[in-house]
Amino acid sequence: MIKDITIGQFFPGSSPIHKLDPRAKILILLVYIITLFLVKNFFSLLLLFLFSFICVLISKISAKSVWKSIRALIFIVIFTAVLQIVYNKNGTVLLKPFPQFDFCITSGGVFTAVFLVLRIIALILLSSLLTYTTSPTMLTDAIERLLSPLKLFHIKVHSLAMMMTIALRFIPTLIREIDIIMSAQKARGAKLDAGKFGERIKALISVFVPLFVSSFRRAAELAVAMECRCYTDGANRSRLKVMRFALRDYLAFFICAVIFAGALVVNYVPLCQSLLFERVI
Amino acid sequence: MEQDTLLKFENVSYTYEEEEENNRLAVRNISFEIKKGEFIVVLGHNGSGKSTIAKLSNSIYLPTSGRVLVDGMDTSVEENEIPCRKKIGVVFQNPDNQIVASIVEEDVAFGPENLNLPQKEIRARVDEALKAVGMYEYRLHETHRLSGGQKQRVAIAGIIAMRPAGIVLDEPTAMLDPKGRADILETVHTLNKELGMTVVLITHFMEEALHADRIFVINDAVVERTGTPDEIFSDAAFLETCGLELPDTAKLCLLLKKRGVSLPDRIFTPEALIEELVRQTERA
Repeated sequence: MIKDITIGQFFPGSSPIHKLDPRAKILILLVYIITLFLVKNFFSLLLLFLFSFICVLISKISAKSVWKSIRALIFIVIFTAVLQIVYNKNGTVLLKPFPQFDFCITSGGVFTAVFLVLRIIALILLSSLLTYTTSPTMLTDAIERLLSPLKLFHIKVHSLAMMMTIALRFIPTLIREIDIIMSAQKARGAKLDAGKFGERIKALISVFVPLFVSSFRRAAELAVAMECRCYTDGANRSRLKVMRFALRDYLAFFICAVIFAGALVVNYVPLCQSLLFERVI
Repeated sequence: MEQDTLLKFENVSYTYEEEEENNRLAVRNISFEIKKGEFIVVLGHNGSGKSTIAKLSNSIYLPTSGRVLVDGMDTSVEENEIPCRKKIGVVFQNPDNQIVASIVEEDVAFGPENLNLPQKEIRARVDEALKAVGMYEYRLHETHRLSGGQKQRVAIAGIIAMRPAGIVLDEPTAMLDPKGRADILETVHTLNKELGMTVVLITHFMEEALHADRIFVINDAVVERTGTPDEIFSDAAFLETCGLELPDTAKLCLLLKKRGVSLPDRIFTPEALIEELVRQTERA
């Protein structure tokens, strides 16, 4: 299970999405998330969902890895849907399985459940696309540049970005290490995947203590290795890859602006709503 | 001929602070000189103090007493810290803990980026370094998917991209499989022979020392003996007192001699032994 974690994974490629300036990708994602939470209208949502879906297609990321990122959060998705179906009492009653109880499934509940599921999946799709198509170094570089105005407040933006780079770099390493430690502890008779919940949590201590110890050792060694490569505080560093907004970035901004604006117009302009929305219900 | 010396230890002692009460020295009164272009192997068993030498050589550790000079610069002077590290690169045992970035070429670029070089220059150095270690076609791969030997070659590329005059490798093969070990050794020899880089290889594998220009044998924090591979490996008794073994071929030669095969002294490489045996059979 632990190997399924895909956070911060990057699949090198040469699709248009890969080639976009990472700063553009971050900004677009931000606006996308905001728009996604503003829209209350099914057609707007569908438009945004299609947008993220098409982006995934363009990026040529394998369906398997996309599914992996959704599966990681499937519990939350199902949980939200079930909650809506059980507790939402709006709309007409569709089903009343137990006549003696006050429990019923309503059209409003089902509608909101589908709406929320689509919204969460759209969110996962586009956010995971960001890390799938951007190398972690580029990503943190972009964040560093986007946050650089914070330098005015004496915040060490570079250190933050370096921390992120290292954290992302060590995720796979530490995952493998957890696997090794778990196997080692199981070989010594630790019951990691049996027993009551409380017992299992206690058993995990035997995994996390060695993990912490080795992480500190790794950190110390990495610090020395970085010093050997003349790292100081990162004040005067140049870059292998210089970021410059190109035509395709402006084009992407434009396309996204049109789509997001479209979604908002459909959402807020009453005429569109009466044309599309109410006919469905 | 001061200019020919790249690295010079003058009566260097070093103690880890926490051990100060016991007054146990990691290295004691070590002196040696390494000339530019030399291939040096430092041999010693675990805990002999050989790893401390690596960190002393580029101002990571400062000597408790004595002086370390890198190309004439004293490592304990603060302004010399960065220039010393530019001259002498150090590669450590665990490649996983030396790689900073997730993508091969981005990791190799880390050093040149720290030197604040222009973008074109970084690009050129990264490509050159990756070609030198034979990892150019892997430049866009993720570092965590590489094998141990490949990771270690990326770590070496990360150092040579800074174009140091010398490279110190602290047991670079200790965590690798035989294939990875062979690759690293080949890489290191290429750096020395073709790029003229000074190499200091710290190890406890005897086989890695066979082709060195000189060998330093470290035992109990001091340099016990310095010499060519011939000189060092012809004294099995001495090596044993230092907690070291003969190279496999030399061991085999001793056994053959005991069985009555007449062999000349100083055969340490498999190739030399095969050649000698073939010659003898042909004569017979």
